[in-house]
Amino acid sequence: MKKLIEIKDLTKSFDDVQVLSNINLYIRENEFITLLGPSGCGKTTLLRLIGGFEFPDSGLITFEGKDLKSLPPHDRKINTVFQKYALFPHLNVFHNIAFGLKIKKLPKQDIDDAVKNVLKLVKLEGFEDRNIKTLSGGQQQRVAIARAVVNKPRLLLLDEPLAALDLKLRQDMQYELKEMQRALGITFIFVTHDQEEALTMSDTVVVMRDGEILQIGTPEDIYNEPKNRFVASFIGESNIVAGVMIKDYLVNFEGFQFTCVDKGFDPNQDVDVVIRPEDIELVPAKGEIDGVVTDMIFKGVHYEIIVDVKGKEYVIHSINPQKIGAKVSITFEPEAIHVMEKNAKFT
Amino acid sequence: MDQDVSKHNGFIRFIQNTMNSVLSGGKQYITRFKTGSIGTKMSHLVMGSGNIYHKQFAKGLIFLGLQVLFLSIFIFNPEINNTPIGFKALGNFITLGTEEGTLFGALADNSMLMLLFGVVTFGLIMVFIITYLTNIKSAYASDLLVRSGAKPTTFKDDVTALFDSRFHVLLLTPTIIGVLTFTILPTLFMIFIAFTDFDREVRPGLNLFKWVGFENFTAIFTGTGEIAERFFPVLGWTLIWAFFATFTCYIAGILLALVINKRTVKFKKLWRTVFILTIALPQFISLLAMQQILSEHGPVNAALLNIGLIDEPFAFLSQAKTATTARISVLTINLWIGVPYTMLMTSGILMNVPKDTYEAAQIDGASKRQAFFNITAPYIIFITTPYLITSFIGNITSFNIIFLLTGGEPNVPGNIAGKTDLLVTWLYRLTIEEGDVNIGSVIAIFTFIITASATLISYRRSKAYKEEDTFQ
Repeated sequence: MKKLIEIKDLTKSFDDVQVLSNINLYIRENEFITLLGPSGCGKTTLLRLIGGFEFPDSGLITFEGKDLKSLPPHDRKINTVFQKYALFPHLNVFHNIAFGLKIKKLPKQDIDDAVKNVLKLVKLEGFEDRNIKTLSGGQQQRVAIARAVVNKPRLLLLDEPLAALDLKLRQDMQYELKEMQRALGITFIFVTHDQEEALTMSDTVVVMRDGEILQIGTPEDIYNEPKNRFVASFIGESNIVAGVMIKDYLVNFEGFQFTCVDKGFDPNQDVDVVIRPEDIELVPAKGEIDGVVTDMIFKGVHYEIIVDVKGKEYVIHSINPQKIGAKVSITFEPEAIHVMEKNAKFT
Repeated sequence: MDQDVSKHNGFIRFIQNTMNSVLSGGKQYITRFKTGSIGTKMSHLVMGSGNIYHKQFAKGLIFLGLQVLFLSIFIFNPEINNTPIGFKALGNFITLGTEEGTLFGALADNSMLMLLFGVVTFGLIMVFIITYLTNIKSAYASDLLVRSGAKPTTFKDDVTALFDSRFHVLLLTPTIIGVLTFTILPTLFMIFIAFTDFDREVRPGLNLFKWVGFENFTAIFTGTGEIAERFFPVLGWTLIWAFFATFTCYIAGILLALVINKRTVKFKKLWRTVFILTIALPQFISLLAMQQILSEHGPVNAALLNIGLIDEPFAFLSQAKTATTARISVLTINLWIGVPYTMLMTSGILMNVPKDTYEAAQIDGASKRQAFFNITAPYIIFITTPYLITSFIGNITSFNIIFLLTGGEPNVPGNIAGKTDLLVTWLYRLTIEEGDVNIGSVIAIFTFIITASATLISYRRSKAYKEEDTFQ
């Protein structure tokens, strides 16, 4: 697929605080890309730079190869859905959506048709005359999306658009947004701090922290092959243990040696080892990684079991309940072990 | 649609409700008499007997005492300043006095007190009727308690309830008494005065005044006489004043706030403080200072004379040659005094307009001007509509500025309403300086009607009222 947006060596600071450093990223056409990271990681700033509400200190943003620097927001083929929707409260649904078209002085019939079409897309047919304040949060959200897509952008920026919705609605909207993106055939850049949201919806996830990109990849890559301790703990739950890579396919941690599928480290290099909770199986104590069950919570699909191994707590997701106080052993397949480079900065 | 009128029209609904409650009250009165115990039946004649019958002695005696007190006032007619309160007051209310009095010696009946005491007596009768109905209700309530096998409440129970479940009654009683005595009574008194010939010729106690029906109203609104000739120009100027005083301050305040809120303006707090100082200063001091500054020998004229722009002192205010000069002067000074309020309010509002909304408009290609007229302006107008209305009403009845700056002058020879007189300052002159209390009352009623109806209509039509919870 063609590259739509390319970002090169982008930096941005506000009053001496570096919010983005050295960002390099490209976004393809028709891609659903998510910027994921904790609050203050610079993801919203990156979005605002692309949207044209802020200007980079250095670096380049290109749109289909052309520099965006001198283009004001409304001349970029980019539109934004704001976190708090930013609807015009004194206008009804129709006039909110038609606002931009009217400013472009389109013929009335075209405006009516365009509004009708987007309302159909966001499943709000017949809502034209409704007052904004009479809409629920989810409906306001849809109006905000309709207002953004009615201008036929090539790229839609969504700044935590689901943050204000309740859980059930948020899950429904996740699927609908994905569907809308496919139907429209345009690129979505979606900002969120919710890792589940990112994994559900995205083609590509960009994990950010402290103004830097830590990892770019498909949801599967990010989950299964996190590059470092931060990514591993931010995406889903994980057990992270310090270890030593003895040689290719052999790692030592918790005092035992395990075969694994990782290679390419220096001999005896210090590493971090990640094991996902669902990859661990508990068996009666057999003298390897032995521990005691200290806590168990029923989570619906599975039990979350906490096992204390010599003072270190492991989290295990299992469909089989355990007795608290039971002596168990932690076992896993070689594929369940994921070895990461130890990086002092990301601990 | 016709059958729905009651649903939409508050006034008709009010009348219906009142009639319904009077009807049901009447029915209740009859039922209570028919089905009540002998005590309750007695209560219809001797207050408190129902309670005494149920051994609620304290309560019963209080009701009885009230009846005795009222009847003795009504029958014995105690006099204040030789004017009775009681059934005689009702007669006096109709005649407003018959004793003419002579120039030397005998005093005339005091028509003013007779009118006042007539109103008071009506009030007492209303209070008595309410007490009378309460007495029956109380007796019947005890009947029902006894019939259902319970004991009637004791006096202690009743007093405790006043501090507990009926605490609102205890709290509201003094308020209602206060409102009746200090608001309703004087208002009714004033309204009645408008239907008399209580003018500059009348000295209450020395000569009489009498009822004249709608004469004062016709003299003002339909007459071609003196009063009408004065009234309509004053009314016209009052409305012009209120309109311009409101909107000049409003628009200038918004512009000032926009300027100060601009990102490029330095020392924002300093500018705001400077303007707020005018609020901090007592208004009459700034007004008197203004009057001095613009006076014949004041600094402004001195400066203009010195530069040679004028040859003789220019009269800005009360001595102004034309009405328009004086009017523009007072409007300008009012602008200077009123602007800080709007500025303060709008800069708060401007800071609260969500930034997202501007950006959303920016994406849609709105220019700065379009963003202002499509977002900022509706937002400000929405929030400030109630302020605009109150400020318009306030300006209709604004007394200080005109009174202190021009005193209503420049005057027209032989005409007591000056060229800058508003209804209220004219009212002041009419009643305090001239003693035409009856005409003053008519104007006061009229002013009340326009301010009240303007408030109601515009407030109920404003979006701020209809869509109270939109901007949140």
